[in-house]
Amino acid sequence: MAYLTQPDYVKYACSCGQIKPITSLYFCRHCLQIRCGFCICHEVDSHYCANCLENMPSSEARLKKNRCSSCFDCPSCFHTLSTRATLAQPRQTPEQGSGDSKVENKQAKKMYYLSCFNCRWTSRDVGIPDQPVASGGWPERVNPNATRINQLLDYYKAIAQQEKQEKLDRERKKFAIRGKYITLTDKTGLTGAMARNIAGLPSSESTMSAIANFVPSEASADVEELSEDFYTKELNLNQMTSMPQRLAAPEWQPSSVSRLYPIAKLLSVKRSQRCRACDHNLTKPEYNPGSIKFKIELLAFYHVPEVKIISYEPIKPGCTSALLLKLTNPTGHEMQVRLLQPEEVPDTEDRLEEPKSLEKSLEKSLNLEKDNLWYETVQRKADVTATCRVVTPDVTLTLAQRDDAAEYDDDATHDANDIILWRKSNKLALRLQVSCGAEVGAASAAEAALALQYRYRNTVPAAHEPRDHTLHATLLLQLGHVSG
Amino acid sequence: MALYEGIALIQEKQAVVLDLGTDYTKFGFTGEAAPRCIVRSEFWCPAERRYKRLHDYSSPQELYDNIVHMLHLLYFRHVLVNPKERRVVVVESLLTPTLFRETLAKVLFIHYEVSGALWVDSGRASALTLAAPVVLVVSIGARDAEVTAVVHGCPVLRALQSQPLGARAVSAELARLLDEDNGRALNLPDDVLDDIKVRACFVPGREAALQWAARGVPAEVREARRGADAVVSRRARALSAEPLFARDEELASLPDMVLQCIAQCPIDARRALAASVLVTGGGAALPGLRARLAQELRHLAKLPPYKERLQELQFKFHSAPAHENSVAWVGGALCGAACGTGAGPGSGSGAGGGAGAEGRGVSREAYVRTRRLRDWPCLLHNTPHKHPHWDML
Ligand SMILES: [Zn+2]
Ligand SMILES: [Zn+2]
Ligand SMILES: [Zn+2]
Ligand SMILES: [Zn+2]
Repeated sequence: MAYLTQPDYVKYACSCGQIKPITSLYFCRHCLQIRCGFCICHEVDSHYCANCLENMPSSEARLKKNRCSSCFDCPSCFHTLSTRATLAQPRQTPEQGSGDSKVENKQAKKMYYLSCFNCRWTSRDVGIPDQPVASGGWPERVNPNATRINQLLDYYKAIAQQEKQEKLDRERKKFAIRGKYITLTDKTGLTGAMARNIAGLPSSESTMSAIANFVPSEASADVEELSEDFYTKELNLNQMTSMPQRLAAPEWQPSSVSRLYPIAKLLSVKRSQRCRACDHNLTKPEYNPGSIKFKIELLAFYHVPEVKIISYEPIKPGCTSALLLKLTNPTGHEMQVRLLQPEEVPDTEDRLEEPKSLEKSLEKSLNLEKDNLWYETVQRKADVTATCRVVTPDVTLTLAQRDDAAEYDDDATHDANDIILWRKSNKLALRLQVSCGAEVGAASAAEAALALQYRYRNTVPAAHEPRDHTLHATLLLQLGHVSG
Repeated sequence: MALYEGIALIQEKQAVVLDLGTDYTKFGFTGEAAPRCIVRSEFWCPAERRYKRLHDYSSPQELYDNIVHMLHLLYFRHVLVNPKERRVVVVESLLTPTLFRETLAKVLFIHYEVSGALWVDSGRASALTLAAPVVLVVSIGARDAEVTAVVHGCPVLRALQSQPLGARAVSAELARLLDEDNGRALNLPDDVLDDIKVRACFVPGREAALQWAARGVPAEVREARRGADAVVSRRARALSAEPLFARDEELASLPDMVLQCIAQCPIDARRALAASVLVTGGGAALPGLRARLAQELRHLAKLPPYKERLQELQFKFHSAPAHENSVAWVGGALCGAACGTGAGPGSGSGAGGGAGAEGRGVSREAYVRTRRLRDWPCLLHNTPHKHPHWDML
């Protein structure tokens, strides 16, 4: 189980060798392997604004530089800004409005400004005029360097173009039989220009002019001296922006508080995740930004038996202590579980013992090249060396399927024996022994490794008969510290 | 023409530009004038429940994991695009450790399956933002200050200078001065020191600095800082950047580095280099630093050991069309955009030299085949293509 604020006491080994709590693991039903965020492929699914929960198509998001057009963050404390309305009195002298009807006509107009409820910063602080509409319409700023950067871009593109052209010309010269006939087109370079026109490339004239009109940066002997204020004036820290405030707007990086400007809110993305080995989706979120549900959600939490620590006796060097564990079957099928030592788990290759259909193996061989590339480079052996050993009894435990109705049943059945403490619906409490080596020093972390072998009923593909598989999971239990 | 470009835009995904600095990472798209994000080079590590720095690693495997986490953060939290099938321009120092380069390549090509990557060194990238033929790039990074002479799009490797005179040296001096001021060890965290530096510190002119160092700072104005509960005196504000200019027997101060770099360059490039200095890097953003460097350079050039060779030089300074901390990144963005679609140009050697650094680009297929990156210290990459060494791979 994983906790928000506490360490993860029980961790599982992913097929890629990472060790993580079960809540951060996935289970690929096609490979029948545990996967994790490290070994799967993440993809951007959709863009949305986390504040107004508005979806934005990817092409639009790219145009708007991944920023929401109606939500803004405070440039001072990064809290979301709120739009505030005020009544602006239209400019008129009181004598002018004599009749009631005229006053109504010149009714106060609603004007809007942005304000931060957290630090009280407002868009008026920096002299941004109030807007007549509630959302949008805020003046956009242009990066002061943008013009120069565009000039440089045009210049470099022109040079690249010219080089390409020169290269082509050289190639052509190399192969052309020289001297015999100089055709008109060769002489005037008509073909080249025409070819470029057809291809839609800029003509060489525009390339030439871009290069000719470009002015490289001029160095100057005068360097801007430090302003006298630094020597004479007292520093007002409240007027200077902090590092995070500057970096929140990389294009402007204001150094003075008076230059802070509302930051259009950065969009968020929903991600879908894919198994690298078989390219099947492991998770796919619903499109609606307000929904936290998934269309596909292959989490290990729903497929792999979950182990929780109920309690344990303090671990002492050279002694055995009692360890109470709870096993839960999250699947809708009965599950047989055996406890093993981690070294008894067979290697990945001979784990899938079921017969494969022809097309399946063909698909597999096609995928082979791709899988191997990542796995051979990155896959590691999970490091489950532990200070303690769980004494594994040689019994097969049967866990009932998950039954949501049974949650309301209170009485646990006590078909207790040496190992089973109690049994309740799909849960099972076990009493086990942990032995700690005599050489283990006091106060070192007490960890025990344990492997589960479980029968898993695979229901995909739906057309086929559901098949049972024997799968393994290796896990690491944190049992506090070895007491002296 | 417009139509064609439109099609090209759709077909070719806009490449990203990555500058993984020691302290701050710059990330964004090619062809844009500023990075989309400048964030601290660190990520939340759930296993250790703390922020972990990208460059803190003790094994290649840990470095691999660090880069995977950092890039995940950059792609999916900041720039919001799929890394897969998209090109990357990597801006790096010429002195990046081989392990780091190769691990980064492995993560990009194997883990994130980018379609191609182009390595640009920061000196050349910075020079690209000026389009001047000869540039002396003084880059003050987080850890090191590097001086690179870029002559017609080519860094002069043998004149490359690097000293640990980056922003961290300033931070360390600031911490020392603050401890002295407050009479106790403050142990301020890095980000607070950064904040004090960026809000309060400046670099006084040469004369003032000498005077203040000798006779103390006049009008000791004390400022209390919220949060950190430390008094920041004007002395600490003014003198924290002094380590960059402190000369010792080694001649390893910042102005010495610049002069040595010029002196080690070919004689016919020296005058042009001195007349084309670009000061970049996040550490160069301190107010007054450029002016002080100019004063020190003009002063030192008249003294031995530079007197004979460099006395006549006129120092002139550029200002790049970008903030100091993202100059190299902007250069990378220009380079990536100019290389454009597909084949890209050969290495230009004219005024805009180096824009098409085609030679350093690697496609995913090529990487998967050879698992090899071009690297200047590697003997193999300095041998001609027809040399029998290449066949022995
Ligand atoms: Zn994994
Ligand atoms: Zn919004
Ligand atoms: Zn605020
Ligand atoms: Zn799979």
